[in-house]
Amino acid sequence: MKSKLVFLLVGIMLATAFFSGCTPAEQPADIEEPDTEEGVEKVESIETVKIGAILPLTGSAAATGVKLQAAMEVAQEIINGEHPEIAVPLAKEAGLPNLGNAKLEIVFADHQGNPEMAKSEAERLIDEGVAGLVGCYHSSATKPASQAAEQYGVPFVAGSSSSAALTERGLNYFVRVAPNDDIETAMFFDYLIYLNENYDADIKTVAVAYVDNEFGVHAKDMVEKWVEEKYGGLGFELVGTVGYAADVTNVDTEVQQISSLKADAVFHASYIADITMFVNKYKEFGIAPKAVLNYCGGFQDTQFVVNLGNDGDYFAGGAAFSAEKLADMPELAAINEMYKAKTNADLDGPALEEFSSVLVLAEAINIAKSLDGDAIMDVIKSTTFDAPYYAAGAIRFDDSGQNEILASYMVQTQDGKYQAVYPVDTATAEPAVPIPAWDGR
Amino acid sequence: MVKNKKVLLIIILVLAVAPLFTKAKAVHNAIILLLIFATLGEAWNLITGFAGQTSFGHAAFFGIGAYTSAVIFYRYGITPWLGMILGGFIASAVAAVMSYPCFRLKGHYFAIATLAVAEIIKQVFVSWNYVEGATGISIPIIPRSSYFLTRLFYLQFNDKLPWVYICLVLFTAAIFLCSFLENSKMGYYLKAIRESHEVAEAIGINPANYKLYAMIISAFISALCGSIYAQYILYIDPFMMFSLDISMKIVLLTVLGGIGNIYGPIIGAAIFIPLSEFTRIKLGGSGTGIDLMIYGLLIVLITCFHPKGVIGIVGRIAEKFGRKPTGGEGSIETVS
Repeated sequence: MKSKLVFLLVGIMLATAFFSGCTPAEQPADIEEPDTEEGVEKVESIETVKIGAILPLTGSAAATGVKLQAAMEVAQEIINGEHPEIAVPLAKEAGLPNLGNAKLEIVFADHQGNPEMAKSEAERLIDEGVAGLVGCYHSSATKPASQAAEQYGVPFVAGSSSSAALTERGLNYFVRVAPNDDIETAMFFDYLIYLNENYDADIKTVAVAYVDNEFGVHAKDMVEKWVEEKYGGLGFELVGTVGYAADVTNVDTEVQQISSLKADAVFHASYIADITMFVNKYKEFGIAPKAVLNYCGGFQDTQFVVNLGNDGDYFAGGAAFSAEKLADMPELAAINEMYKAKTNADLDGPALEEFSSVLVLAEAINIAKSLDGDAIMDVIKSTTFDAPYYAAGAIRFDDSGQNEILASYMVQTQDGKYQAVYPVDTATAEPAVPIPAWDGR
Repeated sequence: MVKNKKVLLIIILVLAVAPLFTKAKAVHNAIILLLIFATLGEAWNLITGFAGQTSFGHAAFFGIGAYTSAVIFYRYGITPWLGMILGGFIASAVAAVMSYPCFRLKGHYFAIATLAVAEIIKQVFVSWNYVEGATGISIPIIPRSSYFLTRLFYLQFNDKLPWVYICLVLFTAAIFLCSFLENSKMGYYLKAIRESHEVAEAIGINPANYKLYAMIISAFISALCGSIYAQYILYIDPFMMFSLDISMKIVLLTVLGGIGNIYGPIIGAAIFIPLSEFTRIKLGGSGTGIDLMIYGLLIVLITCFHPKGVIGIVGRIAEKFGRKPTGGEGSIETVS
């Protein structure tokens, strides 16, 4: 009897799993399977084109994930609605014109910040028939998810994942919109040179504070690389690096270490919770380097200025978005309004990059007139995408899959606003350097 | 000697046949994870369920197995099959080294020590450049057009079904080994040690030796699971492979199913993994976290009302039918 009951129980659970999984979530009834003829899919009958978006919708980065989801939904609304007033690709007509105005449907999935779940969700979405994938914000989640996409020949357009390692793997079905930490590091040093030459900043020594994971370690490696290869010869010296655990709850020790290095500039690779703690401790200990520059992470989240108020002023970093540029960029202003209606907040860099990843993938599908992964990738790799919502105005991918047109610029927080400060032609304000002492503010 | 061989064979048969009725990758994925974690649960059960030594650090062995096969494939192109065996031996060696001082500890202290050892090993891998440190290893993908035998050699498939059967073979081997051990002289010795160290010693059993044997076998099986998991996921980093989450998942599903019983881990995994996977699939995209709430609630309910695990429910039902009651025989009480 015991044996039978054990067997029955296991059987019930397996059956539950089996039947739950056999019913694909949100499988739209209006899609007809495309016929394939000599490798080209006929898509005239398709009414909806599905793409998958994998984001951290729960877990420690859930707040960011939900914002990124809203940005992607704005892209979906622009594509599926008629927005002739917004001069971005696919806005004028409803749907994808080359596919009989098929609607775009984004199927969202949650990876909880877990790489294994990102891969599972990528495979599930591919199984559901998505034409491409976007996401995953965390570089560590984007890696296995894009490996799965590569295995099944499905295009993956990453928006904001910034680890340079992502485009160093030689994948054929992966591209990334955001500048990577390699590009950002070079931009940081160029910015410091600009400050030295134009503002007598006299910045020579640099330290790196980094979260001890894929994002932070790779950023630190890039600083070491650039100092050795180029900027060391231009007078810069890396005086030390300070790593800390991803789940750090107190940064007293790390801040003391940074203080002891007496660096003119500190590069931070930190998430929103960490950078908030660091700024509070900088204030508590009265530490004010001449410049603090942040990789794409916590600083770019608008929550940074909400959390810190005026204490968050004078910090800088690379970003694809500054609300101060909206007056000069009507397309971006319109997108921002739609986003703001959903979130009550302005866009930020990662959100804009995820928005653009959806637009790029949708435009590539439209141009390819096909849901075939190879056809879509051919378009992605060979097209310069119009992106008037970026200061650079366009997106183009190199052979490695990296967007070779720099999508971001340097911003600095001044009076609670992200002001563009470098390069000069994109600037909305003068950079404030050196950072004023805490007791002098 | 394996008791209830018929039941085990039926469970394995069900697991072998069920995936053939669907092509849904999500179902195959759930079955693969179910088998991997059930095997890990069997391995953990050896040291905790049978020998009574609560380990919260099995992620260390799992991670060592994963890294060994991934590194030798990534660095030298050597088949992960070899890496799997090598990883098993390295994990066993590490288990032997860590067990020597740790087995002097009892109760809470042994559990804390295993937790600490796993964290130390994680930090070693985080700062070890040869294994790509915190950046992790993206396992190179072989061409999609490769023949099946090439794919089998490199453990990469275009389909999930081969994974199901590879994991099933591992699970079958592990559960029969555990069942054999449970009913062997060593199994009785381990249970005697679990019940009372002093009494076991008094009747001539050397607790240190037998706990060590159990730990070595447990680490070897855990490392095999880690190797398979790494090849399956195609990306590993120290935070993922050596995480407390992995250790706790192994503990949770075994306790949920019934500790100290060879059916416990498979029952726990059969509940835990599909529940986790399908609540996330169905509800995860909403961004509300409701899947995690439902998942957590079910675990709380089972833990509160059936602390001996689901196998305890089976035992109670069996008792009503006049059969001998059963349940998880072990315990994770850490007070010795």
